Amino acid sequence: MNRKLRIGMVCPYGWDTPGGVQIHMKELAEYFMSQGHVVSLLAPVSDEDALTESWVVPAGRPVPIPFNGAVARILFGPIATSRVRQWIQSGEFDLLHIHEPAIPSLSLLACVAADGPMVATFHASAPKQKAIFAIGPILEPVLEKLNARIAVSEMARETLKVHFETEAVVIPNGISAAKYSHGKRREDWYRPHTLGFLGRFDEQRKGLSVAISGLAEIAKSIPDVQLLVAGPGEQESVLKNIDSATRNRIRFLGRLSEEEKADFFKSIDAYVAPNIRGESFGIILAEAMAGGAPIIASDIQAFSDLLQGGKYGALFVNESHKDLAEKATKILSDENLRRSMSEEGLSFAMTFDWQSVAAQILDVYEVAIAGGTGVTLASENRGWRKLRNE
Amino acid sequence: MSNSILLAILVILLLAWYLSFSATRLDRCHHRVETSWEHLDALLQRRAALALEIARNSDIDPATEMILTSSAYLSREANIGDREDAETSLSESLKFLRESARNGELTIAVNLIDELTALTDKIRTAIAIHLEAIISVRNLRDKLVFRFFHLAGRAKWPEKYHFEEDEL
Repeated sequence: MNRKLRIGMVCPYGWDTPGGVQIHMKELAEYFMSQGHVVSLLAPVSDEDALTESWVVPAGRPVPIPFNGAVARILFGPIATSRVRQWIQSGEFDLLHIHEPAIPSLSLLACVAADGPMVATFHASAPKQKAIFAIGPILEPVLEKLNARIAVSEMARETLKVHFETEAVVIPNGISAAKYSHGKRREDWYRPHTLGFLGRFDEQRKGLSVAISGLAEIAKSIPDVQLLVAGPGEQESVLKNIDSATRNRIRFLGRLSEEEKADFFKSIDAYVAPNIRGESFGIILAEAMAGGAPIIASDIQAFSDLLQGGKYGALFVNESHKDLAEKATKILSDENLRRSMSEEGLSFAMTFDWQSVAAQILDVYEVAIAGGTGVTLASENRGWRKLRNE
Repeated sequence: MSNSILLAILVILLLAWYLSFSATRLDRCHHRVETSWEHLDALLQRRAALALEIARNSDIDPATEMILTSSAYLSREANIGDREDAETSLSESLKFLRESARNGELTIAVNLIDELTALTDKIRTAIAIHLEAIISVRNLRDKLVFRFFHLAGRAKWPEKYHFEEDEL
């Protein structure tokens, strides 16, 4: 599409709290702007003075509400509603791209307040909500206004289908593949037979304990195996009850910068993702592949989907350190296997690069704006109440 | 000789009396935890019903309506684990609504707001009383004599729920 668009994006969660949705939106917006499109992004912001992106429009301070088993920082209420309407009215957007409109926050308000081309991305995957019978009647007429729905994974698509009986196009989350291709092997990190783990390692669901039990098992046949653990967390909480021989095979690198992350993927023989549950996409696997690391991952659905059932990485039975050790030992002791996994991973990772992902999203935009006349404010008298009572 | 037997009998009698006295005391405290929870529970159910009414009968935005509706339904769940989060959601969103109504940003029927305010005050008191009852049971059960003689029997250790710490 050659036409340059004015895109309005809406984020439901606090912009200044770290999260997958926020990172995805930031990178997508920056990519579109680098292509000459104009992006304005409306989001809840806790500290407006610390906001660095000129294209982010703060809509107010988010409120922490427990929702679907996690505390979400969201924004609702009369003031938020009028901010959303103001932003839509003054934005002259060709199209709105709304993220997570099924969360009771700005995105939902924007979807109600606007008329015209609208696309929504659904990120979350969750088992069927208990109160869906109660909120379904609120959401259904709103979600019907969307011209197109995007799900970031097969699981997110399933979730959408189960809750609202509606279909979606699957377009994966994006990464900046180029960022990870220039990493250098750090000699102070690497030694032969090195495995890597990255993430908040003291969260039980990330499964580091499975990797550590696996490490002891691998050491029986590869005594000099090493596990590099990168990311923030409390070391003591994972190291207690671990014998000293295994402890000596683990090195903590702390939180890594983006450049260090690229070096990290080059300084390991394989990346281990032992996550037990709670992943809906697994962007880290795409990043590790873009960095050239062979993947060993638990067979939870998100990982199995992303690796196409084990085609682009080794899957082990979730929570089985024995199976992890078996797969890891095979990969660590076979250089040719590692090389071919790395090469296949590299080319596969390009399918997650923004260049390809954003192009697919633009294709969806194109369908949405066909014949449209831009985004306008839904008139008050056809407002929310009317919509529901129709 | 007969003196020391008498003394022993006296000691045993005293001990028996003390134990039964303590057990009664603990039982009374346990009972208070139960009744104060029943009272609180009834108030919370009324709050959920009121939240639904507010969601239906006032001109609030769909996001707020969705939070109120889903947490009101979830707070009727029997499973307290599922319920805790819903109660916190209700506390937070109703607090937000009352503030908005007070600042004139939102119009909610006056009788609903008045009822909500009165109910919130009652809940605040009911939570304080319930927590107090829990603490007194916990303090008693932590004492050596209660643990040693297993005076609590099979009574459950009284639980605090995190929504009881919400600011209302």
